[in-house]
Amino acid sequence: MMREHETQAEMERTETEHTVAEPVRTMQKMEQKLQRAGRKQAKLYLFCNFMALMIVSGYAALMFSPTIQTVFPPGGDSRKQMDMIFFMTLAGCVVFTLYATGLFFRHKSRQLGILMALGASRKKLFPGLFREVFLLSSLSSIAGIIAGFPLVWLIWSAFRVFLVDSSDMVLRFDLRCLFLSFLFWLLVTGFACMSARRYVRRTNIMEVIREEHINEPVKELGRWCGPVGVVLIIIGAALGYGAPGIWMDVMNAYPPAWLGILYVPVFVGLYMVMLHAVVNGWRNLPGMSGRKKNLYKNIISRSMMKFQGKQTVNNLIIVTLLVAGACFAIFYLPTMTSSAMLKYAERSFDYFYEYRSDQNVPDKATVEALAEEHGIALKDWETCEYITVGAGGNTMVEEADGKHFHIEYQPVSCEMVLLSEDAYARMTGETVDIVPGAYLFVTDKEEASVNTNESAGHLTSITTGKQIETEFAGYLHDDLLMGIRMLAVVSNEDYMLLAEELSDEWRGVMVRFNADGKDSYEFARDLWYRFVSSFDKSCEISVHYDRVDKVMADEAGEEYWADSDPFMEVSYEEKESSSFKMNWRYQPKFRILDINDFLVTMAVFFMMFLFIFIVCLTTALVICYTRCQTIALNNRYIFDDLKKLGASQAFLEKEVRSQCGNVFRTPAFVGMAAMYLYYGMILYVNDGQIVSSEIIGMGVCLGVLFLIGLLFYFVYRATVRTLKKQLQIG
Amino acid sequence: MLYVKNLYKSYETGKIKYPVLKGIDFHVEKGEFVAVMGPSGSGKTTLLNCISCYIPFEEGEITLGGKSLAGLSEDGLARIRNEKLGFVFQDFMLLDGLTVRENILVPRIVQGEVGVDAEALANELVSLFGIGHIMNKYPAEISGGEKQRAAVARSLINRPLMILADEPTGNLDSKSSRAVIEAFGSAREKMKATIFMVTHDSFAASFCDRVILFKDGNIYRQLEQTGNRREFQDELLQVIKEMSDQEVSI
Repeated sequence: MMREHETQAEMERTETEHTVAEPVRTMQKMEQKLQRAGRKQAKLYLFCNFMALMIVSGYAALMFSPTIQTVFPPGGDSRKQMDMIFFMTLAGCVVFTLYATGLFFRHKSRQLGILMALGASRKKLFPGLFREVFLLSSLSSIAGIIAGFPLVWLIWSAFRVFLVDSSDMVLRFDLRCLFLSFLFWLLVTGFACMSARRYVRRTNIMEVIREEHINEPVKELGRWCGPVGVVLIIIGAALGYGAPGIWMDVMNAYPPAWLGILYVPVFVGLYMVMLHAVVNGWRNLPGMSGRKKNLYKNIISRSMMKFQGKQTVNNLIIVTLLVAGACFAIFYLPTMTSSAMLKYAERSFDYFYEYRSDQNVPDKATVEALAEEHGIALKDWETCEYITVGAGGNTMVEEADGKHFHIEYQPVSCEMVLLSEDAYARMTGETVDIVPGAYLFVTDKEEASVNTNESAGHLTSITTGKQIETEFAGYLHDDLLMGIRMLAVVSNEDYMLLAEELSDEWRGVMVRFNADGKDSYEFARDLWYRFVSSFDKSCEISVHYDRVDKVMADEAGEEYWADSDPFMEVSYEEKESSSFKMNWRYQPKFRILDINDFLVTMAVFFMMFLFIFIVCLTTALVICYTRCQTIALNNRYIFDDLKKLGASQAFLEKEVRSQCGNVFRTPAFVGMAAMYLYYGMILYVNDGQIVSSEIIGMGVCLGVLFLIGLLFYFVYRATVRTLKKQLQIG
Repeated sequence: MLYVKNLYKSYETGKIKYPVLKGIDFHVEKGEFVAVMGPSGSGKTTLLNCISCYIPFEEGEITLGGKSLAGLSEDGLARIRNEKLGFVFQDFMLLDGLTVRENILVPRIVQGEVGVDAEALANELVSLFGIGHIMNKYPAEISGGEKQRAAVARSLINRPLMILADEPTGNLDSKSSRAVIEAFGSAREKMKATIFMVTHDSFAASFCDRVILFKDGNIYRQLEQTGNRREFQDELLQVIKEMSDQEVSI
């Protein structure tokens, strides 16, 4: 301990020896001089705070920016994912800064203890200490908060320059995000000042003096704790994810927030896994053969970690959470891309669109003329009529308490688009025979869509009020038609009956065709512009807007919720925006356009998740690096002793590698594996199956994990190199 | 000068209580140089920490210069540590960021501003202990013996009632140990200092007027020097051997 202290002092000596102009004579001057001498510890503290605040501030700035708020639908999965990872990052940063504060005071404790021992009272010590920690915390926090904005701007601009740019991607900030950053600043500064108070109030001065050298071994739980931890993680993830759904089914009520407590086994399990990694190592599992042989393997590096166990385990947990967050964010890209690209490729026709009969969209001759202008020919042109009716269905009706609900059948509850048997056959080439009074619902091949209605006992003409009784008779599968809101096929007789005297507002036309030979992106784009421009204001509605619901609300003299909900707005004036392309009710399906514009349309989503990925991963790697530095440098004297005992350079290098390996490998592996399995579980639970696009997506995710693993490996190598240099090994 | 009456102190580990000091009684006169010896775990350092007001004690009374330490407020205890006591530790406890001169002046700085008198006393002390040439050096630049002599100088800067030394030669070679003990001797001779020292070192203890031997939290025996240092050291070693033999036979 003595030598460690002297070595440290030796290192700081050069910094301080030439700075003494006159001897200190007052308490304030002495504190200032001691602060200058302790710059190294202060730097680490400043760095940790700065990093944490920069990450929180940057993330909050992006999360609350109007650019993101406009594109990410509230309540949507993507927004939930963004929020969830934010809270994980926040938790990581909180623990990280608390750790940094603890470390700062551990280093400071010797100085405080000596001054106390020499008779400095708490009244004398506290003002100076308070001033120091307040200044350090505030300066680092404010610098971090300010740096968060240029960080976001730089990363975002780099994305726009090097990857993709769109009109959506003009980055705007909402300064309300500063509220979160300032809360975090208060937490950091408040905790630091409270720690200062706690230290000077301690009565056992010897404990304060020796605090720096007190080891913090963790309580060992035996070799079973690792495997049990893994089981707990799995149980916690399954319980936490599945409980809200089960609650709704069983209780007929919205799941309360406290159900989140079911995720607790995940964190307990994570702690046990990390504890096992630090105390026993994963090569020493119960019942593993050759256990005795491995007992002395890496004993030195493991004991170094073990005796700073509390800090090490905390750090490994944070890194695991950050790696998991980074993976969760980055998985969005391959799964979304593969799913979309596969769907585009599998469409049976190059072009498909639909429009209401009261709209004046380009006719066949106009479209063909446009195609000719672009030097392409069209083939397989087919059109058919459809009608929109009111369909019955089981509806979730909220009770007066706002918490419970019951399922109630309503004869007219929502919109349903109907095709006749003949029209369906014309569009798809598939002949179906449907008896009157039955309907077949159109869905995708895997029947994975959640937008289905199997409970429609009535179909009603909105214009005439004519109603027929009907019954669900099964599914039809067509990926091209599936995207249309609630599409079903009925018998020709039922169709005729419901279509009779129906106004054009409730009638529509579907069109599909192929390019004859090579397709043209320019043609598709031109056609899209003309198509969108031909619609009037009555069609400026979201895909989630239910016209039947609107009629029902009007008849009841109530306001239809979607009329005043800003997130249901779509505007022709922003037709280039991803929000319009993703949400407009009549957005056509042009394969070449969709494939080429996919990245631009999804750019904001991708960039946000890529940003989260970069931030989480960078933080995780920085923590791993600093942790390795702390453990190795705090144990510098062990390496010196080993050298004196004749340890070879190769042995010392192996110990450094083993030490760093534990810090990098375990959290990276656990974080990646846990998130991969969790993501797979989500995909499966969504529709009770893993469809082909999801399998491809998961395959790509595996590739991404490999790349993350490589990145960790390279940083690990760099860390080992740096430590070897610092410890003068090799 | 120092009176310790029926001092009792224990440590708790979990639910188990380990008594360390089991009713200690002794006193130290003004100007006396007293050592406490005993095997590890016998309670020597705990006794010193209680007298230093570093750790609280449970029962008994400690009186320093006629003032009882029990029941003093935190500020009162701090004042005692600063004005009435001087400290010398095994691992020196110098502040790395301050020069030797500044380290010596720390107890005065803690009181308030350092005056000309304190500067003069610091100069006197460094010259007394032969460390004037390192006044402007930092602890990392000087030897262990020099560090400990600087610590002795620091302990005297407020002209305390008593110097408390915890294993002052524990980290030093024989030459440096001798220099430190000589420093104590000079302090006693020139400044009439009273010194109370905990040590394992029979050589260091042989310079004392009196040695209190501790065993299992009790005073085993007290020995007084009669004049010849070498004989006194032999006597100490003999008694220590007796203590060890008793442990072996048990």
